[in-house]
Amino acid sequence: MSTAIGFLTQTRSLRKLTFYFALLAVACLALADIDISTGSPGHELWLMGRGLLTPQVPDWQQWLDAVIYTLTFSLQGVVLAAAVGFLFAVYYHLTWVRVVAALLRSVHEVFWALIFIQIFGISTLAGVLAIVLPFSGTMAKVYGEQLEEIDSRPARAVHDRAESGLSHFFYTRLPLALHAMRNYTAYRMECAIRSSVVLGFIGLPTLGFHLETALRTGEYSAASALLFTLLALIYSLRYWFRARLLWVLVPLAFFVRPVSGDWHSANFAQFLRDCIPAPLREDWALEKSGRWLLWLGEQIGAGAWNTVLLAQIVLVLTGLFALLTSTMNSSHFVSGWRRRLGDGFLLVLRSLPEYLLNFIFLIVLGPSMLPAILAMTLHNGAIIGHLLGKHSDEVAPAVMESGPLSRFAYFYVPTLYQRFLAYCFYRWEIIIRETAMLGVLGIPTLGFYIDSAFEFLRFDVALILIAASAVLTLCADSIARRLRRQFLPAY
Amino acid sequence: MRLLTAILTLLASVYTFAADSDRPQFTFTAIPDQNEAELVRRFQQVAEYLGEELGADVKYIPVKSYPAAITAFRNNQVQLAWFGGLSGVQARKAVPGSEAIAQGYEDQFFKTYLIAHRDAGLEASDEFPKAIAGKTLTFGSKGSTSGRLMPEFYIREAFNEAPREVFSRVGFSGDHSRTIALVQSGAYEVGAVNYAVWDKAVASGEVDTDLVSVIWTTPTYADYQWTVRGDVDEQFGPGFKEKLTRALLNLEDESILQSFPRSGFVPADNDTYQAIENTAKSIGLLDDF
Amino acid sequence: MTILVELSQCRLTYPSDTMGEADWLALEVDHLTVRAGERIALLGKSGAGKSTLLRRLRRELAGQTSWCPQEPGLVPQLKVFHNIFSGALDRHSALVNLRNLLLPSRRHQTEIARLAEPLGIADLLWSKAGELSGGQQQRVALARALYQHKPLLLADEPVSALDRIQGEAILRQLLQRHTTSIIALHNAPLALNLCDRVIALRDRRVLFDLPTSEVHPDNIQRLYQ
Repeated sequence: MSTAIGFLTQTRSLRKLTFYFALLAVACLALADIDISTGSPGHELWLMGRGLLTPQVPDWQQWLDAVIYTLTFSLQGVVLAAAVGFLFAVYYHLTWVRVVAALLRSVHEVFWALIFIQIFGISTLAGVLAIVLPFSGTMAKVYGEQLEEIDSRPARAVHDRAESGLSHFFYTRLPLALHAMRNYTAYRMECAIRSSVVLGFIGLPTLGFHLETALRTGEYSAASALLFTLLALIYSLRYWFRARLLWVLVPLAFFVRPVSGDWHSANFAQFLRDCIPAPLREDWALEKSGRWLLWLGEQIGAGAWNTVLLAQIVLVLTGLFALLTSTMNSSHFVSGWRRRLGDGFLLVLRSLPEYLLNFIFLIVLGPSMLPAILAMTLHNGAIIGHLLGKHSDEVAPAVMESGPLSRFAYFYVPTLYQRFLAYCFYRWEIIIRETAMLGVLGIPTLGFYIDSAFEFLRFDVALILIAASAVLTLCADSIARRLRRQFLPAY
Repeated sequence: MRLLTAILTLLASVYTFAADSDRPQFTFTAIPDQNEAELVRRFQQVAEYLGEELGADVKYIPVKSYPAAITAFRNNQVQLAWFGGLSGVQARKAVPGSEAIAQGYEDQFFKTYLIAHRDAGLEASDEFPKAIAGKTLTFGSKGSTSGRLMPEFYIREAFNEAPREVFSRVGFSGDHSRTIALVQSGAYEVGAVNYAVWDKAVASGEVDTDLVSVIWTTPTYADYQWTVRGDVDEQFGPGFKEKLTRALLNLEDESILQSFPRSGFVPADNDTYQAIENTAKSIGLLDDF
Repeated sequence: MTILVELSQCRLTYPSDTMGEADWLALEVDHLTVRAGERIALLGKSGAGKSTLLRRLRRELAGQTSWCPQEPGLVPQLKVFHNIFSGALDRHSALVNLRNLLLPSRRHQTEIARLAEPLGIADLLWSKAGELSGGQQQRVALARALYQHKPLLLADEPVSALDRIQGEAILRQLLQRHTTSIIALHNAPLALNLCDRVIALRDRRVLFDLPTSEVHPDNIQRLYQ
């Protein structure tokens, strides 16, 4: 027994770390609401299946309009976010830059959009800003780390002082990181397409707008057509998201759908006034303010509790799913058409918005946290699995010949485990942010209360709750960073 | 080639849109309480009708949620809106001076159905069905009058407790059509739904009435209404509000009325909805602590 | 002659790999002066502390030295031209530098071509540095050091990847173009041939510091034992 749990006494043991995370997830699972209440989902599922096989675009003009909006939102968003993120990355060694970047990305784009829609109406400006802000925070972080990881010898070879100017940056640092930055930007474009679809769910005129309607009203043929469109857009990125074409595409995007919003200073002033907490704005009596605070505290407490509960379960399940499915996209296990199939499967899975997966599981499993858990696990797991599989190609094949199962256990997992944990830690803050957001769809995480607050025009409450979700995200970010430093010094 | 033409049309429409936005345009919206394609079809007709009657450029813009409709109204992106009882109250609170001017004939005596899945084993009754305690329940949208406010009011009255205490699980489906779909699939055992949407869905054969049926009907209340901003006369010339009210009350086009479905529109004012406002306050949906 | 730098009772350390542990002692120097106009060769086995001493001198002489490190340290993604040009970033304004990155000016092109010619890399100027062989990369690094246009040269094994004849020719050029040079070399005959002073390092100490004329073959032998 003592040897079996011997790893618990080691410091810096990755097994110990994994064990505690798994234990925490099991504890959360015991506390979470995960009933299965199946009724008679057959009918709805049959309709969905039939719709999937008979995609149909009811209105081509509307379809094209939505495609153009989806593309222009994401293209404008990514280009602007890349510019801002790049600027931040250059100064990423400054603490305040890192803090601003972390704050920007701690708020989900859906929440940013809900705020900007209040200020600029349902407009291109609101949509583009909602993408630019969180994306620039994320890109600042990744660009910044990519610039930190480069070979510093060229810089030292031509410069004998610690501080270096703009010219040195462009000659001896940027070229070394540019390739990685480009790849990441391309990946971000994929995320942006997904985000702009999700923004459609709350009213911006992208594919998501019509997808939500189609799903809500059970027009699954129209929904599947939109879904296939989304997959096609994401898959085709590799052919047209090229530096050379961007010189044409970006100006075209700004020309076809100029960024504009409805700005009325009176509306903005009204919005600002509404953002002042009600007791101060309305000058309530102490007792009434107390009731308000209690009511707000209950929402923060319940929302944060459910958010963390769900996120911890999802984090561990995501890791498990990713580790297993990464073999589908790894040269150590598959090749040829099977590899392409696995690659495609994971790409499709990660491209499906969680909203959609959640809805399907809701029909099948009934209302509880389970649909959300499964939806987030599949989506996030596919992202990490795809990345990890691709990364495993760089590892030399195992020296000892063995069957796939023992190869997985004795070679694959041990060699990739550090990298795998690093990906999971990176994903942690994103999972928290998304869990909070998914509440908009009905599970009682913070998003549920945020959505309710917007529903009843309580912007003060909405902002406080958004801030609470940002704090959770920031906490996950800082714990992950600390764990990464302690357990994974190489990453 | 067709794609190219479509692209060119779109490019052209960008410019016409830019040119249009210079002169004031009368715009209205409606709360998205059901199938959007149907809403667009219905309100496109209304826009044409109003355009002719008012001699103005009238446009309908669809929105995705109840608060989006209220926000658009408050921000003067729309000057007129087809609100539900509660959203109308919220909107008129947000825009001082705005008025309810007309409601559907049926909206004077609106009602909500509680519907249940066969497996829940609930019987239809005239009395409030206390047996629903402990079941799972889905409302419609959080801000809906018929899908949330009134059913919640009667649930609280019957049990003297908040719904989440009474039921084993409470959800918000988003809209009436989805409430029906979720109860029909068995995801929830009981649902609260707008009677007009239900009757229409049954008539068109979208509902399997063997699987899901009405078990209780609320007493009647005032619901949907047209609400207009107080400053339309300043924006569109004196007498505009009166002309608009007349146009709505005189709407007799059969196909438009059937799409609502309403038999006609009758006058309304803000006081018509005082009861709704009181109810909302009593269950804590309007700022009152 | 002017004294450029003077070290006395100096313990030079090498940063430790693991955080928290003390740095290693790389070299102890009792006394060392460098005068303008000298051509100094640093001799000694690898690990004797040559690179550490050079790095220290570079820090003492900040801003006055052309620096040619042991590893070329080129930016593999950039063209050879830009790698050489990066030696002179401090001499030009940021605007000129950025312009040259996108659109190299004629003046700098001829300047660098003239510099590259005797090093035998003139026809490689528009290749990417990452695609060159080890010897070619070393010559690019040399060109970059030359283009720094500083009076003082600090070079660490600058011709280690070149053959003997080529190496000697290029080393001569290097010495000619700088008034003062300090070069770490592993080739003792070459050092004795071209330099006027030898500093020999062994076991983290200065073994001897003599004018070339006074260095006895036995001394050299003892150094590499």
